[in-house]
Amino acid sequence: MKSENSQLKILASAPAAKIITQELNRRRFLSFAAAAGGAAFLAACSSPDAILKNGLEGSLSMYSWGDYDAPEVLTGFTKKLGPKLTVDSFGSNEEMISKLTEAKGTSGYDIVVPTGPFIPQMVQNKLLTKLDHSLIPNIKYMDPAFLGRDWDPNNDYSICKAWGTTGFVYDKTVIKRELLTWNDFFDAAENEASGSVSVLDDPGEITGMYYWAHGIDWNTTKKEDIDAAEDYLVNTFAKHVASFNSNPGSDAVVQSLQSLIQIWNGDARLGISESDDPDKWQWVLGSPATELWMDNWAIAEGAPHPKSAHAFINYVLEPANSLKELDYIGYHTGGTGIEEKAKEEGLEMLDLVFFTPEQLATMKTAEINEAQARTVDIWNKMKAAAGA
Amino acid sequence: MTSTNSKPRRQFKLTEASLGVWSVIVFIFLFAPIIVIFVYSFNSGRLLAAWDGFGFDGYQAMLEKTAVTSSVWVSLRAGVFSALLATLLGTLAGVAMARRPGKWVAWFSVLLLFVAITPEIVDAVSLLPWVVFLGQDLGLGIFNDGIVRLVVGQSLFSTAVVTYIVRSRLVGLNENLEEASADLYAPPARTFWKITLPLAMPAVLAGGLLSFTLGLDNTIVASFVQVSGTTPWPVYVLSSVRTGLRPDIASMSVVMLVLTLGALALVAVVLKKSGDSASQIARTMAG
Amino acid sequence: MSGFRLPRPTLAIPAIGWLLIFFVAPVLMVLWFSFGYKPGIFASHANDKLSFDRYAEALNPTFFTTFWNTLWVGLAGTILCLLIAFPVAYWMSVKVPVRFRGLLLALVMVPYWTNFLVRTIGWQIILAPHGWLATALSSVGIIHGPLDILYTRSAVLLGVVYNYLPLMILPLFVAFDRVSNEMREASKDLGAGRIATLFRVTIPLAMPGIIVGTILVYIPLMGDYITAKVLGGAKGNMAGVLVASQFQTAQNWALGSAMAVLLIVVILLSAALAGLIIWLAILPFSRSRKLVIGMAK
Repeated sequence: MKSENSQLKILASAPAAKIITQELNRRRFLSFAAAAGGAAFLAACSSPDAILKNGLEGSLSMYSWGDYDAPEVLTGFTKKLGPKLTVDSFGSNEEMISKLTEAKGTSGYDIVVPTGPFIPQMVQNKLLTKLDHSLIPNIKYMDPAFLGRDWDPNNDYSICKAWGTTGFVYDKTVIKRELLTWNDFFDAAENEASGSVSVLDDPGEITGMYYWAHGIDWNTTKKEDIDAAEDYLVNTFAKHVASFNSNPGSDAVVQSLQSLIQIWNGDARLGISESDDPDKWQWVLGSPATELWMDNWAIAEGAPHPKSAHAFINYVLEPANSLKELDYIGYHTGGTGIEEKAKEEGLEMLDLVFFTPEQLATMKTAEINEAQARTVDIWNKMKAAAGA
Repeated sequence: MTSTNSKPRRQFKLTEASLGVWSVIVFIFLFAPIIVIFVYSFNSGRLLAAWDGFGFDGYQAMLEKTAVTSSVWVSLRAGVFSALLATLLGTLAGVAMARRPGKWVAWFSVLLLFVAITPEIVDAVSLLPWVVFLGQDLGLGIFNDGIVRLVVGQSLFSTAVVTYIVRSRLVGLNENLEEASADLYAPPARTFWKITLPLAMPAVLAGGLLSFTLGLDNTIVASFVQVSGTTPWPVYVLSSVRTGLRPDIASMSVVMLVLTLGALALVAVVLKKSGDSASQIARTMAG
Repeated sequence: MSGFRLPRPTLAIPAIGWLLIFFVAPVLMVLWFSFGYKPGIFASHANDKLSFDRYAEALNPTFFTTFWNTLWVGLAGTILCLLIAFPVAYWMSVKVPVRFRGLLLALVMVPYWTNFLVRTIGWQIILAPHGWLATALSSVGIIHGPLDILYTRSAVLLGVVYNYLPLMILPLFVAFDRVSNEMREASKDLGAGRIATLFRVTIPLAMPGIIVGTILVYIPLMGDYITAKVLGGAKGNMAGVLVASQFQTAQNWALGSAMAVLLIVVILLSAALAGLIIWLAILPFSRSRKLVIGMAK
């Protein structure tokens, strides 16, 4: 290249002198940009905290899933009790845990919202602080069925924020027979719905379907169970899967992108009610067994505003606020008698929010155990098989 | 390979026209989803992707949610700062690579290649403990600031991009002006400022624009390094998927687009006032 | 080469320093984890025992099956980006009046100021079985019934091309912009045809930009695991997902690091191989190019 260009120079140099005069102006632009940048930087600084008259700290920082609380509940809290609320978002429990672990108690977050199975490891790694129940009297409004779960039997660290379960929806114009169980799901996937199947993009949910269908404990660590699940899911089932999607209600259901879709109940309710043709979709709660997942209010170790944090948790547990939360996010908040109130309010499709005690008895919670590595491995192998 | 000389004029027009048509098609392709989002920002339904009826509900809801407005503000600030930083670092490095070649260029290229190739999740999990270490163990308080952390995270790939683009513009481009300037005993800084930088200007602007754009979409690194109060826009959007994106996300996107365009127009006016477009200057130099 | 000059890499020192502090140092630390192990279900890594075991674990058949898909997406995506961007960048930098060029350059970027997921929803609404495109096509009678494009390999490529196009257009624009009109005119005056000028003057001179555009699309694309899957679903499975699954879901940073190293090595090898093939392919052309330039003098 070098030699070519020394030849080309001759063509280039003639009109160049003109440039020098125009140069000063470039300087003007750069100084403008620097000034604008400096101003914005100053605006970023915030004021220090103060203690309010009611004894609460002047602010509160929450780290949760995005858009996971009714805006009126959040603004209502500040209006009634005073602390200014900052809400930050995470996309996964693992991300939130990494953040708290690395920050070693200086993350600055007060309230965090982990999913149940992650709580034992957070407790063990000292990422959560014990709740002071005397500051949360409204726990009395909670339905005992959703308290004292395996991950925190005495609710020392957490209280149910919202819970849901897993099932599937299918397009009745494509699948003309009635599907009732996970076995039916797999059968339809291998037949009329082949290539039009969506499953949750979460390893435990996928192996879970197999275990639930075959009466195996979801949290099994037995090698033969895991091998059997792997064999079926990777070698038989994967090739029928079109999509791994954890939130199909927002797109796959409303746009009719697939005809057989594994889905969480609240997401299904949302998708079906917003679909142009709600009647073509049929929701089926997973059976004979299925999942119960639960996101929980908890307070981070080293929280700078513990009093406000307790006050907030107490505030959202008030039945009126609990109902607003349920209405906004579409998942059961675990309050007692909330079903009747929701009916009075005229909320729709409540069979996808509330479940009978018999149905509840079939729902199992997950735990993170030694099988996790294999489960993730199966998930990756399935994706490789589905993508090939 | 050579064209027939019988009808050069006609062929000329044909090529010209087809180039233009192709470019217009590509621009339509680029804007197609944005037009959809603009339309759906007036969706009055519950779900962004499911049209229900026309209304301004999304715009109203957007203003009521502080998490939405603050995340956009965070993203815009981090985007501008990281773009400025990456443009500064990348321009200097790109000039050095093109004008002071040597063995170091090979090593530096390898470094840039690694920056570009390293999966974002690796940057994310490595940067988080690192900024915590700098901020808390070494007591460099600046690294506890969320915007600073976001800027650091976004600047890495952007710096590599600007360096590449600036270098590719300058490499092999005639150096005789710079040599002449040096021969006339102009100090190197003056030569750089008056000759080299204008030559590189289209690449600097393109690189800066690209850095800003890449910064706005940075999700994975941002979600790991953010601190309380500095959740950026893409992290908020990704995280909101869990309960179904509402139309206010589209409304905010439209507002953000308009605001950013306004800011860009302002910059363009300032540039215009200060003379010809940078591209023209540099072309004069090169041409 | 007279006058005084700074030592060679002086101007690059800020960038080198920045990348050493915020890229090399932290990433080396994570790579160190790849020689360790995951000590328990609630911990992500430990390095008190060192081994290459994680690499052995990472080198499994799943990795290679996935990598083939990744390579296909990476190559096809990069080539498509180049083919689509080339005429646009050429038109912008040569045919469009100078004063509009900055505007067009900005317009290329504008769509990307809307969030990635939001853009994706835009595409889904267009491409859905009964979406905008399906309605348009069936109203003019091109298709009958639902449009079947999402979750296919075409959708994978569409998503990839859409999201990586500016990383190709901008470097190409910058490169073409420096090939002056005078040079092209000179080539023509000397009897070279339009196409000959393009292939023997414009493209060779724009080559640094073409290479940069290709690198900026291919390299990040190969490590990306989100872009391909948003419109392509299961068909857009990429090797990066293996790395992410270890860091994010399995919480096994040791294995995740080893997989990242493996992925980086394989991507570099594939890029080097591709570069070698292209270099061999254009070797004959480069001789004739020199000839033309020589004549231009």
